[in-house]
This record gives sequence, structure tokens and C-alpha cells, in this order.
Amino acid sequence: MKTIKIVKLALLHISMAFFFTACSSDSPEIDTEYPVIDISAVNTFPVQCSEITRGQKIMFRTKFTDNTELGSYSLDIHHNFDHHTHSTEVNDCVADPIKKPINPMLYINSVTIPAGQKSYEAVQEINIPQDIDPGDYHFLIRLTDKEGWQTIKGLSIKIL
Amino acid sequence: MNKTKSNRLRIFCSLLFCFIIGSKIAAQSVRVSGKVLSSEWGSLEGLTVIILPGNLTTITDKKGHFYFNNIPKDSKILKINHAGYLPYEMKLSLNETSILLPDIFLKPEIKELQEVVITDHFGLRRKKEESLNIETVNSSFIQRNLGGSLMQSLQRIPGVKTISIGSGGSKPLIRGLSFNQVIVVENGIKHEGQQWGADHGLEIDQYAVNRVEIIKGPSSFMYGSDAIGGAVNIKPIPTPSKNTFGGSVDFTGKSNNEQFGGSINLFGRNEKWFFDTRMTVMDYGDYRVPTDTVHVYNYAVSLYKNHLRNTAGRELDLHASTGYVTEKFKSVFYVSNVYSKSGFFANAHGLEPRNVDTELHDKSNRDILMPFQEVTHTKISNTTSFQLANHQVETQLGFQKNFRREWSHYVNHGFMPPIYPDAMYAPKDLERQYDKQVFSVAVKDEFSLNKHQISVGINAEQQQNDINGWSFLIPAFTQFNTGLFAYDKMQLNELWLLHGAVRLDYGKIEMEQYNDWFPSEITENGQTTSQYLKRSEDLTRTFNSFNWSAGVNYTPGKLSLKANLGTSFRIPIAKELASNGVNYHYFRFEKGDPNLAAERSYQLDLGMDWQANKWSFQLSPFFNYFPNYIYLNPTSQHDIYYGAGNQVFEYEQSKVMRYGGELQTRYQFLQNLSVEILAEYLYSEQLSGSKKGYTLPFSPPASVLFGINYSPQIKNLKDTYFSLDYRYTAAQNQIVPPEKKTASSNIFNLALGTKLKTGQQDFIISLQVQNLLNTKYLNHTSFYRLIELPEASRNIILSLKVPFLIHKSN
Repeated sequence: MKTIKIVKLALLHISMAFFFTACSSDSPEIDTEYPVIDISAVNTFPVQCSEITRGQKIMFRTKFTDNTELGSYSLDIHHNFDHHTHSTEVNDCVADPIKKPINPMLYINSVTIPAGQKSYEAVQEINIPQDIDPGDYHFLIRLTDKEGWQTIKGLSIKIL
Repeated sequence: MNKTKSNRLRIFCSLLFCFIIGSKIAAQSVRVSGKVLSSEWGSLEGLTVIILPGNLTTITDKKGHFYFNNIPKDSKILKINHAGYLPYEMKLSLNETSILLPDIFLKPEIKELQEVVITDHFGLRRKKEESLNIETVNSSFIQRNLGGSLMQSLQRIPGVKTISIGSGGSKPLIRGLSFNQVIVVENGIKHEGQQWGADHGLEIDQYAVNRVEIIKGPSSFMYGSDAIGGAVNIKPIPTPSKNTFGGSVDFTGKSNNEQFGGSINLFGRNEKWFFDTRMTVMDYGDYRVPTDTVHVYNYAVSLYKNHLRNTAGRELDLHASTGYVTEKFKSVFYVSNVYSKSGFFANAHGLEPRNVDTELHDKSNRDILMPFQEVTHTKISNTTSFQLANHQVETQLGFQKNFRREWSHYVNHGFMPPIYPDAMYAPKDLERQYDKQVFSVAVKDEFSLNKHQISVGINAEQQQNDINGWSFLIPAFTQFNTGLFAYDKMQLNELWLLHGAVRLDYGKIEMEQYNDWFPSEITENGQTTSQYLKRSEDLTRTFNSFNWSAGVNYTPGKLSLKANLGTSFRIPIAKELASNGVNYHYFRFEKGDPNLAAERSYQLDLGMDWQANKWSFQLSPFFNYFPNYIYLNPTSQHDIYYGAGNQVFEYEQSKVMRYGGELQTRYQFLQNLSVEILAEYLYSEQLSGSKKGYTLPFSPPASVLFGINYSPQIKNLKDTYFSLDYRYTAAQNQIVPPEKKTASSNIFNLALGTKLKTGQQDFIISLQVQNLLNTKYLNHTSFYRLIELPEASRNIILSLKVPFLIHKSN
């Protein structure tokens, strides 16, 4: 009888100990921070409500930072003639009336940021063709870090 | 910290010890003992036996025995009140010092046989006879805790959570595993829908559920592939009693999403033939959250009157079964059709967060506009069991069809034409369509040989999956699985029970090639050509697996201990092997890996259970290791063609360690007042791969629930209860991209209910107030967590059940 009791208590201890150590285990250091799209610099382009003229080349310029290592970024320019989407920015721009696309501009490109960078100034030349539909467009920047955290910035721009 | 822990432990153990001693010295003069049985279930365990006056209580043990060691000589009445049985009373005359009462047979309440309660004692027995951790609940538990879907109603059980979408759909999350890692079995047949999708619920009608068994642990040896994380086994409804004709009507109303609905059941039986039918209808509006702005990945979306735009839905479920029963033979046919239509939160579906026509959407909170989904799940099956000498043989044949469509406005991306072509094979707004057809067959033989109780079985399943729609994520495929198993349960003696199981599985999956329906411009060596790109290849993979499981139960009286060690496996699904497209819910590009190996898992489960007169205590820790967990890894890359610049997620395999456990304890202060504590904890970590050190997605945070239950005896009322649950959910700071840390929350739920008797008619009423204080909080495992959407605001749920018996003769 006594041995059984000891066995009972021992088993109880083991299981309780298991439960409590399980509760207090520490996790190793991992990166849980998102990369940052920094549009505070004066020469950042485009910004919310920027206007771009057809038949010109524009220079995309933005600063990216991350606490450990940047990954890649993608740029996406697509029309917003149907007002299907809005921007991530607080202030809204004045939109043209809704219209049907005929030959809207579509630009999608992605760039892998060189390894080991915590801060990176992205510069990219983008050609705005002459024959595209003018109007409201969306300029979408997606930035990832090495671990796969992603930050999105959606800007409303106008192509004249 | 450690010191307080060990002190707490010491106090706890001393209390336990005192209790054991205490119960030994209480031998006195008048002793009454007996046994409680029912003709259908044999000895009844866990029933409360009351002696009046004096209100002395005891609980029957696993053989139905009860003992009162020390009762006053003037005790007059012995009473047993148990849900599902007619109340029992016996007059006592205590002249001798020791009385053995004749066996007490309880009679089931026929009217409720359909709805209640094969119950607690059955659940308790299952717990003690299985070495895995099993929880059993019945339809009255579901009615008390009624949520928007079956799994939401089961969330009170520690270790069981859900991945919910909206107010009407959810997937089971057992100890942090979900989707294809948890199997759902209904009427003995594996439920086959689109398990991998977080964006729709299980196609199960919760009103049609009589009893559910949840296995919190790997159970591949019983169910084959996919049961690697656990199983939800929805048991067949019991056959009606002989010569009865009756039914029940359920009404349910919910304040939050203005839901109303109900279910009608009719059943009947003569000597040998029976039938059972049910129809469930539900209609609900957009649900409400305690916020007026949601941030969909940095995009601020304002909500109209706290309504989550376009999350309304409806459901229509039909069931019919009929069968023939004799003592040695039983054959049952089931047919069911579960249909649901529900909207997706309109601002968070597509290639990017969207602006919607708020005037159109906010006009009514009950309409279902685009984007929405429709799912029809049809099941036809036959289960036949018969006795051949010492053998109990069961055969099962099943057919299922899961037809799911997602409707959304056409959005061109990649090289898709800006205007949808008229001659296209798919309707204009059909974004995706999955059409799954499954045939299954199983044979099982159970027999006993000396101390061994042996089950052997074989099962096979063939499925065909077709796709349609203008977008592509997963190719069409066919799949064949078959398995052979043997399971031995050996009763060594009264105290020890041993389990051993082995299983062999074979699986073959054949994926079909898919080419884009539109040409893309490809530039190679300076030459630009127009090509219909191949999104997926013809691919055939085969998998073999051998699994085993071994366990032990030790049940010395009130204490019971169990341990189980076993392996489990899962064949990678088509999505993991071959997906290559945009997931419009999460704005990401998902890529499969055709070389994935079958997932494998090793798990140790322990269990300790103490059932005493006034209190119970249960602890179930586990440790689990996967050498090759299949994980959808967010990469740092973007797809600029079909993916329209979205982030690429790729399937990978990594070593994963998980451990945790659940604790349940209950104390009966007074005959009608009890408190309960339910706690759960889980830790997961990836030990290798590109997310080494990170946890797994959808890891539920630790939580503890304190419940108080008061069940007064009120004249003309039965089974009255008032209960208040307080759940504290800890913060979840262990995350993996793209998740966000979730803060802790404090939630109160109130429930009350009773059974009103007027004449021969019963009315079972239950009322629930979920999120009593209208707290704004986030649920880490919700489908909409990523877009910072808080959980539903206060929700008042009223349900009424009216069982009726039209005819009964003996």
C-alpha cells in the first residue's frame, strides 16, 4: 500500500514538474521586427499625390531600413480608374471620376537588395510610356526583410 | 519562482495525501451499498447518489457501485437524478448495520434519447480505457455552449481551439495543429472537404451532432494519414427505442449577427426498422465587432455601424437515415446534404486590400455580395455491423462530394487580359472552384481472445478533384489511400490495461498538368515570345508508411494514470506539392514543392486523472517531435508575373518540437454549486530550416478558464443552471512572419438554462451571453487576425429545444 502511494506521488510530481517547466521555458532570440519604408527624406519620390507626366522617365527613390537584414522590394504601378483601392496614407488625393481602362499602364518589378544591408537607398528608373491612359494610378511598394517580414506602402499618384 | 512552485506543489501533494488518509479512517456503523445500471449501457459510472434527509452524496465507480460508510439510521430516501434518465427514488429502512441494496436499473427518458446523453459516465469510461487523451461531449454541451459552428461550440474544452472565419465557419485546432493535420470523422467516415483552407468552415451541421469524441493526439494508427494532430469523431446518432415515433424542434437566435435558425428532427422505429430525419436552416447578417476602423495591412478601412461588411450567410442542411436493427445485425443508410453560402469581408480579398462600393454594401447587412463562397457537401453511406460467433464485424461504404465555389470580380494580374474574354470556359466571376468526389470502403473486425480485445481492419479511399475558375492555385488531382491495421487492448488485471497498435499505409497522388488560359510574354536570349505557361506538371507521387502506438492505463480506484507513445504520419496534400498561384485572402503567392516527404510525428502522451466524491483533477501533458514538419515559409522574394508583385511563400520541411498540456479540475462545494478550472499551454519551435527558432503559425497562446456553476433545484424545472466563465488568455509573443504579437485578453461568458415541464411537454431553454463586457480583443488564431480584426462584440444567444413524442408503446 505504501509503495503504491509513493509511486502515485512520484508520478504526480513528475507530471506536475513537466507541466510547470513547460510553462517557464525561454525561447531563443528571433527577429520579429518589420522592415521600414522611410519616406521622410526630401528627395523621396514618388510620395502621396505625386503627379507624373507621360513620355518621361521618373526616378523612384526611397530609403529602406531593417533591424537585421533587408530582403527585397517590389514596385507595382497599376490603374485605379475604378477606385478599387485606396492608399495606406492618411491624407487622400482628389480622384478623377471612374472610367474604363483602354490601355492602362502596368509596371511590376522586383529587386533583391544586396545581402547584409540594414539600410538601403533604393533608386530605380521607370519609363512612363507616351501611349498609356492618363488618370489615377496606384504606386505600391512592398518591402521584405531576410526573415520574410513584409511592409506595404500604397501611394495614390496621378499620371497626366 | 522555483521555490514558490515547489511550495505550491508540496501543499498540493499534502492535501492529496490527507485526503487519502481521511477517506480510510471513516468506517462507521451503518453501511449502504449498491449498484446502478441501465439496460442499454450496463453499469453506470459517475452518477451522483443522494441520501435524504442529510443530503449525503457519493458517486458511482466504474462498475456502477456506490458505498455509503457512515449514514444516520434515520435516513429515509435514496435518490438518483441524472440527465437522460428518469428520476429514481427508493425508500430506505435501515435496521441492520450493513445493507446491500438490490441492483438499481435506471430507465432512459425516451424522449431525449435522441438528443442527450450517453454521457458523462460513458465519457469517463472511455477516458480510462484509452491511453490517448480523449474528451467526449454530447448535444447538451453543444446547446449550452452553442457557437456559430460546431468547433466554436467545442472551444471550451482545453486543448481545443478553432481557426474561425466570420461568424459561421471554423476549422478545428487541436493543440495547435489544424487543417490536414486533424481528421474529422462523421458516422465513421473521414470527412473530406477542402481541409487545407482557412477561409471556410467544416461542412458539418452541429444540430445533427449527438456525441463528439475529441482525441487530442496523433491517431494515425486508427484513422490513417492526416490524423497526425488529432481527431474529431462525430458519432452516429443512437437508434431510437422500439415502437416510438417522435422528434424535436430547435430554435436559435443570436443578437450579434441577427441570426435566426433552427432544426427539425423526426424519428421513429417499429420493432426492427427505424428512420431519422432532420432539416436545419440558418440565416445570419453581417457580424459586429467593437471597432469602427480595421487596419487591413496598413490600409485603414472604416466599418459602417460596426458591421463587418459582407459577412452575412445562410445554411440549409438535410439529413435522412434509415436502417434495420436486430440484436446481432444492424445496417444503416445515411444521406446528408449540407449547403452554405457566406460572404467574405469585402475589403480584404483580392490582390491587395480593396476599396468597395460602400453604398452598395452597407445598404443591407443581410445581403451576400461579392466576394462570397458557396459550399455543398453531400454524403451517402452505409454502415453494417453483425456478429459472427465471437466476432463483431463492421463494414462501411461511403460516397462524398464536396463542391466549393468562390465568387469574386475578375481582377487581371500578370499577363491576364484587362477585359474578361467572352469565350472563356469559366463564368466571369467564378474565381475558383473545387469539386471533390470521394469513394471509401472499410471493414473492421473486433473480437476477444482470452485477455485480448483485438481489432483488425482495412480501409481504402479513392478521390477525384477537379478545378475550375479564372484563377489558379492548385491543380486537379486524383488520390488513392489504403491502410491495414491491428489494435490489441489487453486487460492484464483489474488495474492494468495495455494497448498496442500497428498500421501499414499506402498512398498515391497524381496531379494533372495545368496551363494558363492566357499567353504570357517571355523574353529569352533577347527574343520575346508569347507562351501559355505551365503552372503545374503532371506528377505522380507514392508514399508508404508504417506506424505504431503503444500505451498503458493504470487505474487503482479513484486515480487513473495513462501513457502512450506512438508515431503518426501525413501524406503531403496537392496544395503543398503543387500550388503555384495567388492566395487572394492573404495577398501572397504560394508555391508548392513536388519533392516533399510524408510528414512524420513522434508523440508521448501522459495522463493523470483523479475522480473523488467532491472533486476531480485531470492533467494531460504531451511531448511531440516532427523530423519533417511541412511548413509554408514566407521568403524575402516577390513574384512579378502571375503574383503581381506579391510576396512568395514556399512549402518547406523543418524539424519541429512541440510540448504542452491541459489541466482540468473541478470542485463541488455544495450539492448545487461547483467551480472549475481549465487551463492549457502549448509551446512549439522549429529546430531547423529557414525559420529555425521560430514557432509555428496559429500557435494558440496559454489560457485558463475559471468557471462557476450553480444548479438549484426549482419546482417544475429540471437541470437548471447558471454559469459564469472567465477566460484569461495570455499574450502570444511567439510569432512567425507574417503574424503579429497578440495581447492578452479577459473575457466573460454567461450561460443559463433550464428544462421546463408543463404537463407531458418539455421545453429546454438556454441563454448565453458571449463576451459579456463587450471587450475589444484579438484572437491569435482567427483567420482575420492578420488584418487586426477584433473578435465579435457581445452576443446574446437564445435557444429553445422542444422534444416531442407522438407515439410510444411497449
